[in-house]
Amino acid sequence: MIAENAVMPNKKLFKKKKTVYISQLAKYIILGIITVIVFLPILITLFASFKTPPKIAADFPLKAPNFLNFENYKVVFTKGKILTGFKNSALLVVISVVINAFLGSMTSYTLNRFKFKFSKVIMALFYVGMVIPVYVTEIARFPLIHSLGVYNTILAPIIIYAATDLMQIYIYTQFVEKISKSIDESAMIDGCTYFGIFFKIIFPLLLPATSTLTIIKAVDIMNDMYIPYLYMPSGKLRTMTTTLMDFSSARAGAWELLSAAIIIVMLPTVIIYLIFQKLIFAGIVAGAVKE
Amino acid sequence: MKTLKFQKNILIFSFLVIPVILLFMFVVYPAVELFYNSLTSWNGISDTKKFIGLENYRRMFFDSPDVWRSLRNNATYFIIHLLFIPLELAIAMVLDSKIRAKDFFKTVVFLPYVINGVAIAYAFSFFYSPYNGALNEILRALGMEWAIQNWLSNENIVNYSLVVISLWKFCGFHVILFLAALQSIPRDILEAAVIDGANPIQIYFRIIIPSIVIVIEFLLFHNMRGALQVFDIPFLVTQGGPGYASSTFTLYTIDTAFKYDSFGMASSMGVTLLVLILVLSWFQKKVFRLGRNST
Repeated sequence: MIAENAVMPNKKLFKKKKTVYISQLAKYIILGIITVIVFLPILITLFASFKTPPKIAADFPLKAPNFLNFENYKVVFTKGKILTGFKNSALLVVISVVINAFLGSMTSYTLNRFKFKFSKVIMALFYVGMVIPVYVTEIARFPLIHSLGVYNTILAPIIIYAATDLMQIYIYTQFVEKISKSIDESAMIDGCTYFGIFFKIIFPLLLPATSTLTIIKAVDIMNDMYIPYLYMPSGKLRTMTTTLMDFSSARAGAWELLSAAIIIVMLPTVIIYLIFQKLIFAGIVAGAVKE
Repeated sequence: MKTLKFQKNILIFSFLVIPVILLFMFVVYPAVELFYNSLTSWNGISDTKKFIGLENYRRMFFDSPDVWRSLRNNATYFIIHLLFIPLELAIAMVLDSKIRAKDFFKTVVFLPYVINGVAIAYAFSFFYSPYNGALNEILRALGMEWAIQNWLSNENIVNYSLVVISLWKFCGFHVILFLAALQSIPRDILEAAVIDGANPIQIYFRIIIPSIVIVIEFLLFHNMRGALQVFDIPFLVTQGGPGYASSTFTLYTIDTAFKYDSFGMASSMGVTLLVLILVLSWFQKKVFRLGRNST
């Protein structure tokens, strides 16, 4: 009995080690498959962007191309007006981010710190706005933008991004709640005005929220297709995304050129993602998990 | 003290005046307009809107089989995404466990969600294309000629082909949300359960599932809203075709408005969508509350 007991734990340990090993292996296999699935369409497009049309027809899609053949990229840059798209997207991002950061933080601060007539109603309306489906409301917003005379100008998307991005109010409110009210009070005693409290104390303390929202907003605007497509049909006002749409309809079937354009348009947001990943994760999680 | 109060009121007014005007003009007013327009036969241009009562709704419910076909396509998105939720949770658990290169895999998993949707839609158009498209080429190389399809022009398949794009784009987002919830479970609770002799299945159902119920609720809500509003993938890849085989409710609505200038009809579809989302959200909330009270 004693001898048997002495052997048993060892055997068990051995068995356990083996199952741990197998389960670790299974995990890497699962993650490996996911990695392949994620990269497959990207890789095929990347390879095609370096190939000539006959090569695309003849080669297996996953056969690596000659990576020095930049011909397709040259065509996209010279004929695709990609740089106009970059410029407009960048302009839209910078203006919208600044406007949204100020409006969002000011709204959240005021509604969180002061109770006044209608404050609850206004807060409720901001939350109701979040439920309204995005795409279909444009049916009613479109005539309004027309009648305001901002249709086909860069103002149209700027106004819409400022007015309809209510998620930022939600995220700012979470952060404002965490800032202790005693900070406001002691500043008040030191003779700080209400405006001073916001601009000198609260707004700087909201910097983590602002940086998170800046990155998320930038990615959202660069990736947005619908608003620029609907409100800025003019060729001069193409964003990166609508430039790609244009390019695609003008050169249907020219996969080598379209692939190069796809890769170019993909790159900015992917680079931002790789640099600011932590901020993006934090913002996505904060914006999503709410009661 | 009086000046202080005055100063406070000025701040409230000056900080809120622009956001509230924007809210009323571009969110509240369009929503009200949507309701009103849905009762008219407005074409989107003319100055007069002819009031026709509930005629648009009658036509939509009884004379428009394509609307129903589109809505069925939305349901397909919903159901398939729903079936993937357990898998997404499993992947999140793998990412939460002790593995090497965790950060790399996390980055990869979330990558599709960040990539430009238009670029992705076109990349998949190429992937599915019958002319030099990679999918058919890969199937041929694997000796699976029988599986080769016209992925985007076969009526019976096209909607599923598009659902795959949606899965590719959104699953990683769900995994990251699950991961965040899992990481918020205190380690000592898990360790205590292991010491007390709980097996993995018990840990899964008694500790993990209850802790991530909020995320599951959000995902169902997000999935329902997302599935009802699918627009850009069919719009960019197939324009809803062939026929209406891959059309969705939102795509059909947008086409009705901007392609066929029936703003009245499109508005009634918009209102229907809004009501549908509200009712389903309410229903879902009720179910979850019931579930929580019973345990």
